[in-house]
Amino acid sequence: MLEDYLPILIFLALAIGLAVVIMLATLVVARQNPDSDKLSAYECGFEAFEDTRRKFDVRFYLVAILFIIFDLEVAFLFPWAVALGDIGLAGFWSMMLFLGILTVGFIYEWKKGALEWE
Amino acid sequence: MPVPVGHFLAVAAILFTLGVFGIFLNRKNIIVILMSIELILLAVNINLIGFSAHLGDLAGQLFAMFVLTVAAAEAAIGLAIVVVVFRARGSIEVADINIMKG
Amino acid sequence: MSQSYLLVALPELFLLAAGLVLLVVGAFKETAAGARLVSNLALGTLAITLVLVLVAAPDRAVAFRGNFVMDGFAGFMKVVVLLGALGTLAIAQPYLRREGIERFEYAVLVIFSTAGMSLLLSANSFLALYISLELMSLPLYVLAAFQRDTYKSTEAGLKYFVLGALASGMLLYGVSLVYGFTGTIFFEELTALYLDEEGAELPLGALVGVVFIAAGLAFKLGAVPFHMWTPDVYEGAPTAVTALFAAAPKLAAMGLTVRVFAEPFGAFVADWQQIIIAVSVGSMVLGAFGAIGQRNIKRLLAYSGIGHVGYALVGLAAGTQSGVYGVLVYMTIYLFMTVGTFGVVLALRRRGQSLEQIDDFAGLGKDQPLLALATAIFMFSLAGIPPLAGFFGKLYVFLAAIEVGLVWLAVIGVLTSVVGAYYYLRIVKLVYFDSAPEALDRGMEPELRGVIAVSAVVTALFVVVPGPILGSARVAAGALFP
Repeated sequence: MLEDYLPILIFLALAIGLAVVIMLATLVVARQNPDSDKLSAYECGFEAFEDTRRKFDVRFYLVAILFIIFDLEVAFLFPWAVALGDIGLAGFWSMMLFLGILTVGFIYEWKKGALEWE
Repeated sequence: MPVPVGHFLAVAAILFTLGVFGIFLNRKNIIVILMSIELILLAVNINLIGFSAHLGDLAGQLFAMFVLTVAAAEAAIGLAIVVVVFRARGSIEVADINIMKG
Repeated sequence: MSQSYLLVALPELFLLAAGLVLLVVGAFKETAAGARLVSNLALGTLAITLVLVLVAAPDRAVAFRGNFVMDGFAGFMKVVVLLGALGTLAIAQPYLRREGIERFEYAVLVIFSTAGMSLLLSANSFLALYISLELMSLPLYVLAAFQRDTYKSTEAGLKYFVLGALASGMLLYGVSLVYGFTGTIFFEELTALYLDEEGAELPLGALVGVVFIAAGLAFKLGAVPFHMWTPDVYEGAPTAVTALFAAAPKLAAMGLTVRVFAEPFGAFVADWQQIIIAVSVGSMVLGAFGAIGQRNIKRLLAYSGIGHVGYALVGLAAGTQSGVYGVLVYMTIYLFMTVGTFGVVLALRRRGQSLEQIDDFAGLGKDQPLLALATAIFMFSLAGIPPLAGFFGKLYVFLAAIEVGLVWLAVIGVLTSVVGAYYYLRIVKLVYFDSAPEALDRGMEPELRGVIAVSAVVTALFVVVPGPILGSARVAAGALFP
C-alpha cells in the first residue's frame, strides 16, 4: 500500500533538491547587481502587490479568450501523436483537416486585428 | 487497490451541486458564474472517466476529451460576452443585469 | 466504405465547408458590400443544402461508426429547419441594414448554427448529440448579443449563455449517468439492449440520467419549468435573431427530443411519459396565461412559443407513431406561422423606427391592408381557429393523445387554446378597429414581402392542399417506428 507512493516521494525529493541547487547556484555563480525592479516579484502586466479586487485591463480577457481555444485543442494532438502508428493515413489527414479548420479561425482573428495589442 | 466507482460519483455529484448553486446563489460577479459552469462540466468529466474505468470502456474517456474542448470554446464565448457586457454597461455585477424583468 | 460515409453526411459537410469559406471571404472583404455578398452567398448555401437533403436517398443510413444517422425522420426535420433558417436569414438582411449592425459574421454564425441543428437531427449517439447541440448553441449565444453596443442585446446574450450553459451541463450530467449505468453512448446499442427483454426496466441511475436529459432538452425547447430565459432573451435580442430563435433551434430541439425518447428510450414510454405530460401541461398553461399581460410583441411571442411547444409535446406524450406524426405536422405549421409573424413584426415601422409594442399594431388595417390581412391570418392560425393551418396542427396532436386515452390532456389543450385565443384576437382587433395618431410606414423590402407572402399562403391554403406536408410527415414518423 504505502510503497505505491514511493515514486511520489522520489519526485518530491528531486523537485526540492533541484530547487535548492538552482537557488544556491544563482547565489554562487551569478553576478549580483540588484535594483528595485529586479527585486520585485514578477507578475506580467501588473504591480505585484496591490488590492486583488482591482479592475484590470479588458484586453487581458481578449488574450485569454484567444489563448484558451488554441491551447485546449492541443489536447487532441497528444492522443493523436501517440496513436498515429495505429490510425493510419485516414487518422493523419483527419488531424490535418482539424488543424486546417483551426487555421481558418486564426486567419479570421488575424484579419480582424484581434492580435494587435493597441 | 482501485477506488470504487461510488466515490467518483459522490465527488462528481458534490461538484455538480456546488456548480448549480454557484450559479443561482451567486450575487456578485459574472466571472464566478463562468467558473461555476466550468465546475459543472468538470463534475461530468469525473463521472465519465470514473465510469469509463469502471466499465473498461473507452467511450467515456473519449467523451471527456470532447467535453474538455467544448468547455474551452464555451468559456471563450462566455468571456467574450462578459467583455461586451462590460463595454456596454461598465460593470459586471450580477445585480446590474436586470434591464428586462424576467 | 469511407466514401459512402462522406456521401451520407454530404449536406452537413457542405454547409460546414461553406461556412469556413464564407468566414475567410468575409474577413478579407470587410465592408457593407462584403457583408451583403456573404449574406447572399449564405442564402445560396442554405438553398443548396436544402436541395442536397431533398435529393438524398430516403433509406436509413448510418455513418461515422454509428454516431450519425440519416433517415426519413432526420430528412424531414432537416428540410423544415433549413427552411426556417433560410426564411429568417432572408428577413434579417433589411433589418440589420436599418439597425446599422450589418456585419458579415451574422450570416456565418447562422450557417454554423444551422449546421449544428442539422447534425443534431442526425445524432445517433450521445457524443454526437452533445457536440452538435453545442455547435448549434454557441453561435446562438453570440447572435443574441449581436447588437453589442446596446444594453438589452448584451444582457440577452449573457442570460442566454449562462442558462444555456447550465442546461448543457445538466444534459451532460444525465448523459454521463446513462452511460455509466447502461454502458453505452450509442442510441442503437441502447435500443438493442432492451429490445428482447419483456418488461425491461431501466436501472435507477440511468432513469435519473433520463430526467436530467429531459431537463436539458426542455431548456433548449423553452418548455416549462425551464422557460424562464425565453421572454428576456426574445425581448433583448435583435428582432431578426429572435425570429431565428423562435423558428430553427426550437424545431431542431423538438426533433432531437422526439428521437431521444422514441429511439433509445422507446422501450420505457411509461417512465418518461409522465415527465413529458408534466412539461406539456405546464407549458400550455403558462403560455396561455403568461402572455395576457404582455405589452411587448416579442415577449408575447415568447410566451406564445412556450405554449406551442406544450401543444406539440402532447403528441410526444402519446408515445405512438401517430403522436410523432402530430408533432411533425404541428412543428412544420408552427414554423410558417412564426416566421410569418416575425416578418410582420420586422415590417412594422414608423418614421423608419422599428416598433415592438403591441399597441403599435393599431391602424395597420388602414395603412397597409395586405400586411394587415397577413397579420390576421397568422393570428387566427396561432390561435388555432379553423380553417387555418394552426387548427390542423392542434387537431392531429390532440387526436393522437385521445387515441391512447389521454383525453384529459387534450381537454387541457383545448381550454388553454381558448385562453390563448384572447391575446391573439386582441392583436387582430388592434389592427382593424383601432387607429393610431400617426400612420405606419408603407412599403417594405422584397425579401420581407416574399417571406411574409409565402408564409401567409401556406398558412391559409394548408386546408386546400394538405397533401405534401401530411404525406411526408407520415413517412418521416414511420421511419422512427419500423
